[in-house]
Amino acid sequence: MHTLQTVILGLALGGVYSLMATGLTLIFGVMRIVNLSHGAFMILGAYLAYFGFTLYNIDPLLSLFIVTPLFFFLGIIIYKSIFPRITGSPRFMEMTILVAFGMALILEGAMGKYFTGVYRSANPSYVTDSIQFGELFIPTGQLYATIVSIVLLGLLWAFLNFSRLGYATRATMQNRDAAQIVGVNVERVSTISYGIGMAMAGASGSLISFLFTFFPNKHWQWIAILVSLIVLGGLGSFVGTLISALSLAVIASLVSNWFGPVWSPLTFFLSLFIVLLFRPQGLFGKKLEEE
Amino acid sequence: MAEAQAMHPGDSTVASKTPLEGKKIFLILFLVVLFIFPVFQVIFDGLNYVLHIMLYMFMYISMASGWNIIGGYAGYSSIGHNVFFAVGGYFSGVIFAYLGLSPFLTAPVAGLVAMIIGLLFGLISLRTRGPAFLMSTLALALVVRLLFDNWALLGGSNGMSIPLIDLPQQYLKLPFYYGMLLTAMAAVYTSYRIKHSKFGLGLRAISQDETKAEVAGINTRMYKIIAFGVSGIFAGMAGALWAYLLTYLRPSIFLELIIAADLILMSVVGGKGTVAGPVLGAILIIGYSEFSVSQFGYSELNIAVLGIFFLIVVLFFPQGIIGTLREHGKLPKILDWD
Repeated sequence: MHTLQTVILGLALGGVYSLMATGLTLIFGVMRIVNLSHGAFMILGAYLAYFGFTLYNIDPLLSLFIVTPLFFFLGIIIYKSIFPRITGSPRFMEMTILVAFGMALILEGAMGKYFTGVYRSANPSYVTDSIQFGELFIPTGQLYATIVSIVLLGLLWAFLNFSRLGYATRATMQNRDAAQIVGVNVERVSTISYGIGMAMAGASGSLISFLFTFFPNKHWQWIAILVSLIVLGGLGSFVGTLISALSLAVIASLVSNWFGPVWSPLTFFLSLFIVLLFRPQGLFGKKLEEE
Repeated sequence: MAEAQAMHPGDSTVASKTPLEGKKIFLILFLVVLFIFPVFQVIFDGLNYVLHIMLYMFMYISMASGWNIIGGYAGYSSIGHNVFFAVGGYFSGVIFAYLGLSPFLTAPVAGLVAMIIGLLFGLISLRTRGPAFLMSTLALALVVRLLFDNWALLGGSNGMSIPLIDLPQQYLKLPFYYGMLLTAMAAVYTSYRIKHSKFGLGLRAISQDETKAEVAGINTRMYKIIAFGVSGIFAGMAGALWAYLLTYLRPSIFLELIIAADLILMSVVGGKGTVAGPVLGAILIIGYSEFSVSQFGYSELNIAVLGIFFLIVVLFFPQGIIGTLREHGKLPKILDWD
C-alpha cells in the first residue's frame, strides 16, 4: 500500500517534470540548442508567481496565465537578439551552450541580488490540503500542478499534430535542411519553438512556486535533473522525454522513501551515467548525426 | 629556479626552429622574477595580500590550462571541472588529517587520483558525442557535491578542518606560492607540449570535425578520454594545496559551479585552444574580480557580470583575446606561446 502511494505521488510529480523537460526537448530538437538557462528561467518564473502571490495575492495558478505568455515573448526576444548571430557557425552547438550558461549566470546573479538567497515557497490554501481516495491520498497542490502540466502538454501535442506550424516544427526537428528545402520557414519555426520552450519554463516556474522551495542557486539542480531526463530519453525525442520523466520520478520517489529525500536527485544522475554506459544515444534516441 | 631551467630544454626543441629567441628570454626572465619576488616578503613583510592574489592566479591558471585541454583543444566543454579540484583537495586533506602526510608531498598523487577519476568518468560519458558529455559533467558535479555533503566521515556539508601549516605569519604564504607556481608552470608546459604533439593535433581534428577525424584513423574516443583525464591533473594538484592553505575541507569551497564557470570563462576570454589564452584569461578575470570586490564589495551581481562577460565574448569575440588579435595579425609576440 505504502509503495503504491509513493508510486502515485511519483507519477504526479513526473507529470510536472515532463512539462519542464519537454520545453528543453523542443528547443534542442528544433534548434540543437542546449538551453542550460532553462532552469534559471524556471526559477525566475517561480519568483514572479511567488511575488504575484505574496504582494498582490494572485494565485500562482492564475498568474500562470500571465507568466506563460510573458515568457513566450521573452523567449522570442532572446532568440531574435542572440541566436541568429551564431547560426551557421561551425561550433554552433558549443557556442549555444556557453551563451545559455552565460544567461543562466546573469539570471542567477540578478535574482540573488534582488530577491536574496532566502528559501521561498508560495503557500496558497490548497498547498496544505490533500484529497483522499480510500487509503490513498494526493496533495491538492500536486494534483492541480499535474493537471496543468497534462493540459499544457496536451496543447503542445495538439499544436504539433494538428496545425500547419506544428507540422513545420516536426519537419524541422526531423531534418532541418530538408524542411528548408520543401519551403518551411525554419527561422520562424525556430523563433516560435524557442518562445514555446521558454513559455513552458515559465509555466513550470509557476508550478514550482508552490510545489517546492526555491532560491536563485537552485536552478543548477533543476537543470541537471532536466538534462539527465532529456539525455536519458534520447535527445530531441518527446516520447523518450515523457517516459524517462515519469519513470525516473517514480524511481526517485521510491529512493526518497527508502533512503531519505537527500538521495533522490542521485536517481537521475546515476541513471544518466548508466544509460550513457550501455546506450549512449539514450533510451529512445536515434544515433545523433551531426550535420 | 631549477624548474625554470628544466622547462628550458623542452621549449628550445620547438622554439629553436623559429626566430623567437627574444620571447623565450623574456618568458624565462618573467619566471625568474616570479621566483625571486617572495624575497621581498621575507625581507620587508606586508606583501601577504599580493602573494595571496598571485598564488590565487597561479591556481586558476593551472585549472584553466587544464580545462583548455579538453574544452579548448578537443572542443568538449566540461562544466563540472571543479570536481577535480574537490577530489584533489579532499584526497590530500583527508590524508593529512588522518595520517599527517603533508599535502605538498601528496599533491602530485592527488593530481593522479583526479586523473583516474577523469579517465573512469570519461570512459562512461565520452561514449557519446556532442552535448550529452557536457550535460553529464554537470550531473557529475552535482553527484560529487551530494556525496561530499553527506559523507559523515569527511564532515558532510559542515566539512572538516585540517591542521594549519607550522610557519610564522610572515612566511605562511611562501610554500603555497611556490607550490601553485610550479603547478601552473607544469600545467602550461603540459598544455604546450600537448598542443605540439600528434595527440594535440588529433584533439584539434576532433574539435573541428569528429567524423572526419575518426575516418582519418584517430581513435577519437580514446583521445577524448585521455584529454579529459589529463585536464584533471592540475585542478587536483591545485585543490590539494588550496585545501591546505585554507585549512578547511568543505564542499562549498570546492564544489560551487561558479568555480567551473570561472574556469571556462577564463579560457574563453583569453582564447580557447591557445596556450596563452587561459593564462591571460585567468590573470584578467582574477584581477577584475579582486578589483571589483575591493571597490564595490561582494554581491551576487558579480555572478551576473560574469554571465555578461560570457555573452559578450561568445557572441562577439568567440576566438577570445588571443585568437582575435591573431586573426588581425596584431598579436604581440610575447603572447604567442603556441
